[in-house]
Amino acid sequence: MSLLRRRTVLGGALGATLAAPAVHAQSGGKPYNGVTINASCFQTTYYEYLKNYFPEFQEKTGIKVNFTMQAFPVYNQRTDLELSTKGSAMDVCNVTFIYSGRWIGAGWMTPLDQFFKDPKYTPADWDPDDFVAGAQSAMKNAKGETFAFTHEAGAMLNIASRYDLIEKAGLKMPETFDDMIKVCEAVDGKEGVKAFVADKLHHWNWIPYLMGNGGTVFKAPPENLTPTFASPEGIAAAQWYADLLMKYGPDGQLSYSDDQAMRAQMSGRANMRTQAITWGVPLAKDPESKVAKTTRFALMPAGPKGNFPGSNSHGLGIPAGSKKKEAAWEFIKWAFSKETIGMIVDKHGYPAVCRTSVIKSPKFKEVLTLNGQDVAALYLEVLQLGGKSGYMKYRTVPVFPQVGDKINKAIEKIATKQQGAAEAVKQAQAEAVQDLQKAGIKVDL
Amino acid sequence: MRIARAQHRFFVLCVAPSLAVLALITLLPALYLLATSFTPLNLTRPETLWDFSEPLVSYRQLLVDDRLANSVWVQIKLSFWTVTLQLLIGLAVALLLNVKSRLLEALRTVFLIPMVLPPIVVAIIWKVIYTPDISPMHGLFNAIGWNVPALITDPNWALTAIVIADTWEWFPFTMLMVLAALQMLPQELLDAAKVDGCSPWQLTWHVTLPFIQGVLLVAGLFRLIDSIKAFPLIYILTEGGPGSLTEVTNYYSFLQAFNFSYLGFSSAITVVLLCATIALSWVIIRAVGWGVRVD
Repeated sequence: MSLLRRRTVLGGALGATLAAPAVHAQSGGKPYNGVTINASCFQTTYYEYLKNYFPEFQEKTGIKVNFTMQAFPVYNQRTDLELSTKGSAMDVCNVTFIYSGRWIGAGWMTPLDQFFKDPKYTPADWDPDDFVAGAQSAMKNAKGETFAFTHEAGAMLNIASRYDLIEKAGLKMPETFDDMIKVCEAVDGKEGVKAFVADKLHHWNWIPYLMGNGGTVFKAPPENLTPTFASPEGIAAAQWYADLLMKYGPDGQLSYSDDQAMRAQMSGRANMRTQAITWGVPLAKDPESKVAKTTRFALMPAGPKGNFPGSNSHGLGIPAGSKKKEAAWEFIKWAFSKETIGMIVDKHGYPAVCRTSVIKSPKFKEVLTLNGQDVAALYLEVLQLGGKSGYMKYRTVPVFPQVGDKINKAIEKIATKQQGAAEAVKQAQAEAVQDLQKAGIKVDL
Repeated sequence: MRIARAQHRFFVLCVAPSLAVLALITLLPALYLLATSFTPLNLTRPETLWDFSEPLVSYRQLLVDDRLANSVWVQIKLSFWTVTLQLLIGLAVALLLNVKSRLLEALRTVFLIPMVLPPIVVAIIWKVIYTPDISPMHGLFNAIGWNVPALITDPNWALTAIVIADTWEWFPFTMLMVLAALQMLPQELLDAAKVDGCSPWQLTWHVTLPFIQGVLLVAGLFRLIDSIKAFPLIYILTEGGPGSLTEVTNYYSFLQAFNFSYLGFSSAITVVLLCATIALSWVIIRAVGWGVRVD
């Protein structure tokens, strides 16, 4: 039986609405009766689950939510354009990690401090400090103002769909890059399963290998954005990663989306993938998964210079042009209350939670104990790693989308042998410098 | 004379509203595009919106952008192969179908299907065909023991894969135009040639082809201009990859504008592309002419 029931959530929403501005506290307990807000996000499981409860939110607050979800690149593209107009088409939108610096820096988002620090809008027990600091850091500006609250923290793990094959080969989950190759070599092609799979977002997937090898993307982000990935370490890491893809990955994976890579694992066609936990949990939980009993999680393998698993976060914020900011805040407050998040974890097993109180709850541990393994502990470990040393700062600088594009192209060129690693990476870096200069950013040449 | 002038005035008055609407929806955006190309407009830097202090900055950047140069070369290859194949296949199929037969008439309709499908649907169909995990084509090849690589991620095949899909989608356009022209070919011309002892091959070469030359030119021009607009197939199938092997100029311009917010730079690319298209069309028309006019 669920520990947190729907009633608890409704109670949370009711508590939230009681704190709504007095001017709205009429109309029969529905302070925003008749208000419709438009909200948008890329496709993610949290909202797939949450949208089932929108009618209850409307019942309590009177706010109708028009919620749309699009594929990740489509959402980012459209939102980028919409936000740049400072139009009022959206009242709530997802602040995507790699765009957070850009959208916040350009003044396209609303500071939320005016809402969560004011008891008129937010009761103290909503507890904004309960959100994981590392995840929230991407949603703040240099002054420390908050522009979004996070619903998803991506913590990169090594996820094996057929751990049984690794065991059969007398090996265990790889702990280093060298181990990774050993395991791939030993299990590739066994029972028709390719040893490794990755999606095409190389500027997310490759960076831990770059950093593990001692390379960096920028000199000292966010202050100095001179690209530095064409170092000898970077070139070696690019060649190593391209080989990993081409020797041990399924044919055609260079065009794989996140979902395709996950399906390759779920159907037992590919084994290991180093990716955020959100894409790993369905392997063990989804009813369609053919690998539920053989899925195993581990920390990202470490390179000679250490372990740098990718971690990121996505949050909900209010566009600067929204004309319904109070109602928008009501929605965010409800969607990310302890009760609502707890309920989504409880009922749907959502893994990428950003509220510490929920992560530390026995229920979360229970939900994320997969095949007897405490995956919650691994998840927390990665989030803490990312938060401590700040190595993920490269990703939230406003120009990362441009630089990331060059990295994607370079890895593709190396993997398909169009260019050697040194040539491709150096060319990508030169193009990145050109692009940064176009954006008016000074680089050390 | 007065009547002719009044008639002319009347025609001008009739056409004026259409011209006004056309100017509003076509010329104004084009002028805005031109103006934007003289600014370094970057959506994240609002101060660049009407900054004409360095009007040629984007055009100077075009000259040193290797990826843009590569995209132009990719565009030339793509346009050449798609237009050539569409003209040849469209012409061949039209000549074959230009026979009175119920079966062939039904076939004409079937051949038109790719052209009337929404481009995004065509792209998805080919995405399925080219994705080894779910592809019936790869399934078939695997069954006969022939290991075919994933075409859209293979550097030797990626552009060819786009050419095949684009040709499949658009050869019916040429076929349709040529068929329409063939239906208008005067029977007397054919009869006269036959009386003169022309073989079927000579008939095609000396009578049919000159007659439809203008139509082929128009079809080719339409397809050439359309090939420069190739977008959905590339967006869905390859996103310009692997690397930049299928990155055509308009896709590159799209990336600059909507992924990186460099609207000024993207506008400059688009202006150059527009001028190149107009110049190319003019050169072709001047070189080939509009064909034989039968009054």
